Amino acid sequence: MDEIIRTVKDYILTTYLAGENPSALTASTPLISSGILDSLATVELVSFLEQRYEIELEAHDADPSRLGTLSDIAKLVQSKLATRA
Amino acid sequence: MWAGLVTQLLLCVFVIRLFELESRTFYHMCLLAVGGFAVHAVLPIRYRLAFFAALSLVATAIVLGVMDTGWLVAVSAVLIGICHLRTSLGTRIGLLVAAGGSLAASRAGWVPAPWSESAWPILGSMFMFRLALYLHGLRYEETRPTVPRTLAYFWMLPNACFPLFPVIDYARFTRLYYDTEPYAIYQIGVQWIARGLTHLLLYRLVYFHLTLSPAGLESLGDLLQYLLATFLLYLRVSGQFHLIVGLLHLYGFHLPETHRLYYLASSFTDFWRRINIYWKDFMMKLVYYPSFFRLRRYGNTLALGVATAIVFLTTWLLHSYQWFWLRGGFPITTQDVLFWGVLGALVVVSTLREAQRPRSPRLTPRGWSASRALRTVGTFSAICILWSLWSSESTSEWLGIWEAAGRITLRDMLLLTGTLLLGLAIAGWAWKPPTLAPGQPVAFFRNSTVVTSATLVGLLVLAQPTVSANLPPGPKDIIQSLKLTTLNTQDAALLHKGYYEKLDNVSRLRTQLWDVYGNRPPEWREGLVATEAWRKRNDFLLGDLQPSTSVDFHGARLSVNRWGMRDRDYQQAKPPAVYRIALLGPSLTMGSGVDDSATFDAFLEKRLNQEVGGAGRRYEVLNFGIPAFTLLQQLALLEDRVFAFQPDLVVITGHAKLADGLTTHLMQVISQEVAIPYQPLKAIIAEAGVDESWRGIPIPFESVRSGLRSLGVETRLPWREAERRLHSKEPEILRWALARLVADVQANNSVPVFLALNVVNDARERNPLLLKAAEEAGFVVLDLIDVYDKHDVSSLRVADWDRHPNARGTQLIADRLYEELERRESIFNLGLTAPRAPPTNPLSGGTR
Repeated sequence: MDEIIRTVKDYILTTYLAGENPSALTASTPLISSGILDSLATVELVSFLEQRYEIELEAHDADPSRLGTLSDIAKLVQSKLATRA
Repeated sequence: MWAGLVTQLLLCVFVIRLFELESRTFYHMCLLAVGGFAVHAVLPIRYRLAFFAALSLVATAIVLGVMDTGWLVAVSAVLIGICHLRTSLGTRIGLLVAAGGSLAASRAGWVPAPWSESAWPILGSMFMFRLALYLHGLRYEETRPTVPRTLAYFWMLPNACFPLFPVIDYARFTRLYYDTEPYAIYQIGVQWIARGLTHLLLYRLVYFHLTLSPAGLESLGDLLQYLLATFLLYLRVSGQFHLIVGLLHLYGFHLPETHRLYYLASSFTDFWRRINIYWKDFMMKLVYYPSFFRLRRYGNTLALGVATAIVFLTTWLLHSYQWFWLRGGFPITTQDVLFWGVLGALVVVSTLREAQRPRSPRLTPRGWSASRALRTVGTFSAICILWSLWSSESTSEWLGIWEAAGRITLRDMLLLTGTLLLGLAIAGWAWKPPTLAPGQPVAFFRNSTVVTSATLVGLLVLAQPTVSANLPPGPKDIIQSLKLTTLNTQDAALLHKGYYEKLDNVSRLRTQLWDVYGNRPPEWREGLVATEAWRKRNDFLLGDLQPSTSVDFHGARLSVNRWGMRDRDYQQAKPPAVYRIALLGPSLTMGSGVDDSATFDAFLEKRLNQEVGGAGRRYEVLNFGIPAFTLLQQLALLEDRVFAFQPDLVVITGHAKLADGLTTHLMQVISQEVAIPYQPLKAIIAEAGVDESWRGIPIPFESVRSGLRSLGVETRLPWREAERRLHSKEPEILRWALARLVADVQANNSVPVFLALNVVNDARERNPLLLKAAEEAGFVVLDLIDVYDKHDVSSLRVADWDRHPNARGTQLIADRLYEELERRESIFNLGLTAPRAPPTNPLSGGTR
């Protein structure tokens, strides 16, 4: 779980938050409602997660309730990995 | 904290009360909501959802009544019950579509519904989108719904007052319920309510001071003002949405913002993300992501573009679907197609460009940026133009407004430059940029409680009459207009027009006008022209009353005598010892919405005969009033038939907007190619550059028309341009018509009287220029504009949605008219003053 959070955090910091203080992005920082991830970024994040973890996400997985925070994302990835296993 | 929040909420209620924001029902609902909050906030959390649902039910019952609320509960039970059937999702969707289809048949008027018309918008608002999100939640959410949560979701307290409701996502509604410290959620709610109230007050400023009629745009400055005001009118929607979501926060629903500085969007994609965010999220969830995930096997770029295009196509159709449930019509107009089509295309292009570029950091830069300023002002200007297209009554009207761009004055240039510089200065700043650290401590003066309380107290101070009383006229007018609940000039004119014409574009009416107009029951939606009491004519009159008919019209019996008057029968030749008054005018004179015995001419005739009649002396007041008759039609009617009745007095009724109708009538005459029987009038029309023949293709811009004409194509002015040109000649036409009326009346040995009288408007509406013109033409002017003063105007109207005077109002008019006639006895010789010596001339046999 922590590993997933770390990987996704790195991706978000590099892609969307260059120059920001990394410690300010926590597991519970709202990503969508705060404007960090818009629809385009969400789609890019989905592609990243699918490639990085070799999982397949569905349309309803792109919901803010599943990608809203790093913690939500980690939970989603973990559940997909569990299903795949 | 509890006391502090209740205090702030009470300040909100005072602001609503003092400025009379929204409706009276809204005020009552706010009282209920504040009282409910005070109890709810101290209840154990397990009872709160049920309490909220019960409170919402009570609010609906207060607004709609117990019977309609009972029906809504029954419909809710069926629709929610279907969602929970133990069958496949497909079957449940099929059953919901079938149930929705039955309701739609009833909404369209094909099948009668057991509930009242006013219940439809609330019913529609509760279910038209939420059912889809609820079903989605049932399918994908892990938490199973409880009865209180489901009831709370469909029966949200503010719904009772706001049918136009943000599309709240069920998953968020569930997940964000008390997801953080309760008092922090409540404080956000109060802050957003205060912000919503501010939006509504700004909307009033725009509505009363900036809006212009598209037909009245004279210069580039007018055009800019029109474009700006049309977009700014959206403040009412954003204000209402802030109020709605703010109220929901008071009950623990920590929902996100509905709008985020949407006037400061820096691209079309950014605009789509900032305005009505809930709609965007709804589309993302049910349309965009499902489309994208299906299409991405063809490549992300294609999938992004097509999914975005599908979103805009769906938005366009759902916009009409929403209007169907809220207002009853299903508007499919060229303007809608163009608006959503162009905006969709711009967003698609903008999205694809963003997708191609390297991702820019989200949270920087801060400070002022020239690039951001230019992009924001450019986006704002483009949206203003698109918005004006969407809001226009027709595409030809919209094309017509651009002719004003060619008329530029120095004032316009200064205005344009000033507005542009101000816009760039504001737009260049990064307002409320996204931040990674929202929880940082803020300075005391930026604390939400302090800012909200100060805003509310400031508004309350502004509402005090003593504050505005000591200001110079300009600021005084502006502050006083914040408290106006009436219609502005354009909407009042449209409402006036709507009395006579079926406004086929009802679904496009501005919300303020819709509040009045849209509440009419079905039987009120047709004018007299749709009844058998109307006779269409192919001459300058265009129509009149069908002789010897009797119909029920707007709740009253309306009978027409053999001469085509809305009156009892009279002999054509004036009997001896009879004093005749001929009354001409529009529906106000005819007596729209009152019974035959309750028109003001009937009351006046009765009083004259009771008080001064008898001993061989009689008075007859002949009602020649015909709905929507303009001064030109009154003139034609006078010459056509009135003089045959040998009147001693001819009374022409003129309201404050008398001149406005001239253009409407002339446009109908010209477009139907009816002959204009007055040479001087034809000359004025020709001088305006309007061709009487009205043949050819309507083409905007003179240069394009002449180019096409040189190619042998027959062209003509677009309707709105012809209307604008005639509109500019209205004062001249009015003066000519008044002079001709006086000459006609005097030539027939009668006395011309101009009766200045309005329908029962909220505020007295006087047109001093019209009265002066009538007096200069030779009329005896009887000014009854103040006849409704000192009375509760709502008690004098036929109905809330119809401002014609009711029987009480017509009695007031008749009494006042009697007094005015009495005061001018020396002119009229009616025999109204003591001693009651027989008047010398009028009662002598009618041969004056």
